[in-house]
Amino acid sequence: YLIPLSNSQYPVNQTTMHRPSLSACQLILRSFGRSGGNIVASRRFASSMNVRDALNSAMKEEIERDPNVFLMGEEVAQYDGAYKVSKGLWKLMGDKRVIDTPITEMGFTGLAVGAAMAGLRPICEFMTFNFSMQAIDHVINSAAKTYYMSAGDVKVPIVFRGPNGAAAGVGAQHSQDFASWYSHCPGLKVVSPWNSEDARGLLKAAIRDNDPVVCLENEMMYGVSFEVSPECESKDFLIPIGKAKIEIPGNHISLISYGKFVGLCVEAAAELAKEGIQCEVLNLRTLRPLDEESIVKSVMKTHHVVTVESCWPQCGMGAEIAARIMESQAFDYLDAPLTRMTGADVPMPYAQALEAAALPQVADIVRVVRRTLNRAAK
Amino acid sequence: MLSTRPYKLHKLESGPASEAQVTSDEARKYYRDMATVRRMETAAGNLYKEKAIRGFCHLYSGQEACCVGMEAVLDRNDPVITAYRAHGWTYTRGVPVKAVLSELTGRASGCAKGKGGSMHMYNHNFYGGNGIVGAQVPLGAGIAFAQKYREDKRVCVTLYGDGAANQGQVFEAFNMAKLWDLPCIFVCENNKYGMGTAVERAAASTAYYTRGDYIPGLWVDAMDVITVREATRFAKDWCLSGKGPILLEMETYRFSY
Repeated sequence: YLIPLSNSQYPVNQTTMHRPSLSACQLILRSFGRSGGNIVASRRFASSMNVRDALNSAMKEEIERDPNVFLMGEEVAQYDGAYKVSKGLWKLMGDKRVIDTPITEMGFTGLAVGAAMAGLRPICEFMTFNFSMQAIDHVINSAAKTYYMSAGDVKVPIVFRGPNGAAAGVGAQHSQDFASWYSHCPGLKVVSPWNSEDARGLLKAAIRDNDPVVCLENEMMYGVSFEVSPECESKDFLIPIGKAKIEIPGNHISLISYGKFVGLCVEAAAELAKEGIQCEVLNLRTLRPLDEESIVKSVMKTHHVVTVESCWPQCGMGAEIAARIMESQAFDYLDAPLTRMTGADVPMPYAQALEAAALPQVADIVRVVRRTLNRAAK
Repeated sequence: MLSTRPYKLHKLESGPASEAQVTSDEARKYYRDMATVRRMETAAGNLYKEKAIRGFCHLYSGQEACCVGMEAVLDRNDPVITAYRAHGWTYTRGVPVKAVLSELTGRASGCAKGKGGSMHMYNHNFYGGNGIVGAQVPLGAGIAFAQKYREDKRVCVTLYGDGAANQGQVFEAFNMAKLWDLPCIFVCENNKYGMGTAVERAAASTAYYTRGDYIPGLWVDAMDVITVREATRFAKDWCLSGKGPILLEMETYRFSY
């Protein structure tokens, strides 16, 4: 899945490189539950919150705020959510606002879309987006297209949310990344949060949006904690849909990603910083509409770009970003072709080593960055 | 007083009235509406042959008694959703003939500004006009769900054809409607053909009024407008008294594709 590169005309000048300085507002301080890393406390941050609690609190607040908002999906109520994302909501809000559905995606998704057409604001949970394929006709034909087909008469203010992409060892039918499929379609908005701040702000914005919004989460991020700012804890904290965020600024290469893989880019950036390579990590946050302006601006600054995703290579997000760069003024600023790091072009294997090999890893990102910058392999 | 044609009942102790009062004003209105729909559809058929209408054009000719008879009992606050054979319903839901024909011929003065076409016409409490066979059924259950959620004392009429009656999502909608007591009148417009295929070749059971299983059902001779009207009155009362959904099979006939 790695496209061979031509030699860069402008090798990175050793003398101009320096250790990147990360100001407080760009420091992402986090502890990864699995690796047990340290939390470095900062006075600017109010508290620590994991992605699950971010989503949970966002839904709770929006259900409390607007009587038309309700949550519907498999296991969301009495089981507290298949991944406990809706924990405590049914006990608090009751049967009317948090509804367990039968295991019939096509039926309940259609029902949720119909309810949205009739003026309610459903949050329709897919246990994973793999099951959304059973209901995809309703997401696209019933939800996404209706505002247009009705010339603006019928609005569909629905949110489709749930885990997307690979988990851990769940095999081929439960590991697909749908970023590409959904961001292909006009009439949908598509967001993909990485950290807790993203999760809270994007989900709240999605619920308040009058268009159908697909919110692609990741199961592996639910348990991960992040420091969040006091603003993030406000009941009206919203992140604008359609705006990417520079998680770490840098001058040498742009790493463009979404969801869980932003975290890998951040880790790769830290490792590369040790040898003086400044990576700019761009967290897309929204996949449709894509923040082309931020992408172009970043590439014009750094002249090098790598995209990271877990979609398959053909027609994935990296393909779209590559095309957009070629079509923009950023093309003239490129010193090397874009590399898209993607999931391997296979159905996801089960064995752990195979699964790891089928997805981009931090070491892969580091290797590809060095190659793009025409550095000798270590 | 006129007699209604006999009904067949499924899981119902009793059915609609066997006699109905019809005033001459009512009779004239029903006739006028049915004749208008027939003329509009005939005009559409001619425009389609002239290629002034492109793509799909599914005509309601022959089925007029169904939409007119049902609308005699429904009011504009009861939402309706149907599939793609929608022009008759579009008219009875308040869209003028001119706006329908303008939409069919792709004009900006069409009811969807030319962006929808034959299968995507909407109005207040009329949710189309849906192109995907069967998709409108869970949507309709969702509209009924919204009414129950808001405690509106309304019914949602969700129409589908004999072809759609075999779709899985229809049964998924039935399940949730019955489970949650949704005020939904499911209406199967059985015109004996699903696209080009006769019902006996597509359905293991053509007794569509029984296929809601645990949902009570009524078979209606829908070539008679008063028979349709009384069945609709019965169904609306049923739903509004909190008894949950009900299924009506309107046996009718269409003259075109």
